[in-house]
Amino acid sequence: MISFLGYAMRRALRNMKGNLFPNLTTIAVIGISLLIFLSFSLIAFNLTSLLKIWEEKFEVIAYLKRGASLGEVEGLLKQIRQLDGVETVNYISPFDAMAFMESRLGRQKNLLEGIQPAILPSSIEIRLKKDYWGETKIDEVISHLKRISQIEEIQYGQEWIETFSVLVHLVRLTQWILGGLLLAAIIFIVSNTLQLTISSRREEIEAMQMVGANPAFIQVPFFLEGLIQGLLGAGMAMGLLFLLYKVVLITITPLMKGWMAGIPILFLPWETIAWMLSGGMVLGLFGSFVASMRFLRYGR
Amino acid sequence: MIQMFSVSKTYPSQITALSDLTLEVTAGEFVFIAGPSGSGKSSLLRILFGAEKPSSGEVIVNGIRLTHPSFKKVYQLRRTMGIISPDFKLLRDRNVRENIAFALEVTGHPPKEIREKVSETLRQMGLQEREKDSILSLSAGEQQRVAIARALVRESSLILADEPTSILDDEMTGKVMEIFSELHQKGTTIVFATQDAHLIQRHPHRVIPLMAGKSGDAESNEEVRFEE
Repeated sequence: MISFLGYAMRRALRNMKGNLFPNLTTIAVIGISLLIFLSFSLIAFNLTSLLKIWEEKFEVIAYLKRGASLGEVEGLLKQIRQLDGVETVNYISPFDAMAFMESRLGRQKNLLEGIQPAILPSSIEIRLKKDYWGETKIDEVISHLKRISQIEEIQYGQEWIETFSVLVHLVRLTQWILGGLLLAAIIFIVSNTLQLTISSRREEIEAMQMVGANPAFIQVPFFLEGLIQGLLGAGMAMGLLFLLYKVVLITITPLMKGWMAGIPILFLPWETIAWMLSGGMVLGLFGSFVASMRFLRYGR
Repeated sequence: MIQMFSVSKTYPSQITALSDLTLEVTAGEFVFIAGPSGSGKSSLLRILFGAEKPSSGEVIVNGIRLTHPSFKKVYQLRRTMGIISPDFKLLRDRNVRENIAFALEVTGHPPKEIREKVSETLRQMGLQEREKDSILSLSAGEQQRVAIARALVRESSLILADEPTSILDDEMTGKVMEIFSELHQKGTTIVFATQDAHLIQRHPHRVIPLMAGKSGDAESNEEVRFEE
């Protein structure tokens, strides 16, 4: 078995060397097609991570009316904790709010000089349970909060998160529709290149068939050729994507540093890279299988 | 060994190569399929080694019903026979020895046995001096000898030979016919398609004459004549 695979691999590599130009063209086309698909995957992956970060940070902030005593606040916290869907509550005093602003401003915190914490409202940060992140459920909590007289204003970014979530879904949808089309194109291209290779080796194949070579003995080298094309194409796509990613990191990130504070731009995780390389191989294999079905059968 | 009942073969171009042909070749027989060019000899042989399906009729070779719908394993059929094709069908990127050895490699013979059998066949065919030469460096006659050697090396019980001596000189043709006669004496069945009337006249074996895809009357070897 091992010696047969060794033989098949040598034949596959010899075939590729003998038909270098069509093989390189196929690898390049697979590479470019997968690069398009992978670019969408990377964008969707980063948007999803961003969405997760925002979702995890998602909370409702209830600003309190001025002059609420500590006792009233205690009672209020207890009341809110008892509401359905509330996971944690955290009281932010005007001093906490000032300290937070100073930490965010960093070196420019002197901008706050002369401002008294007392002008900032005290607030309560309310984290909801995960199953309360949907619009309807949030509305339920909000309507309860609105009924509390000590609360002046309620802020939450749900609408924005939901719009963003739709955007992520759209990108994912585009990625898979495009992926489907590119998939068909890759199979077509690999199958056509291998048809060229097969017809250029027609005599050799017929000679093998003449002595009763097992169909697998004839086909496996072509399957391996498709597999190698797929692997190299996917590897090329992955390499180019990594270069593009680095270019984005080096050139674009500094320009948007302020806007993107705390938001990481990630490359695809190792599992996805492994899946994509395997996917490239499967595509190449399938393309060669299609070609062999049509051209490597014993003539009858 | 071979049975054909009412076999016809018509190509998509509407050319009829065989028409209602019935014949039988028993095990151990040496049979000439004789006829001029275009008489259907090659089509007949191609049907026998599974390269083509007959349009109608029944074909049984080595106990395998080739016309049965479930028959798919052509390669297994071909392993039971030695085939000599008029266009040789040799592996161009391999040398003489490798081409002959290939017939044994595909059936999984052990390397030692392959070496011995190939050496013996090379000697038999007078090719031992050229064993390491590329196929492309051989003359057409030498290539034909390699094709014959490849068919013989497996010591199959059935040899299908389509014009195996067409481009050999008289001396080599005589030598090849001697080898075939030896094989025949050992019990090998040989189906030999040829348009060489002189060759048939010199060898007293059964003749199945073919004319435009139809089997003619059985003739004695001396009576065989072809009009092109």
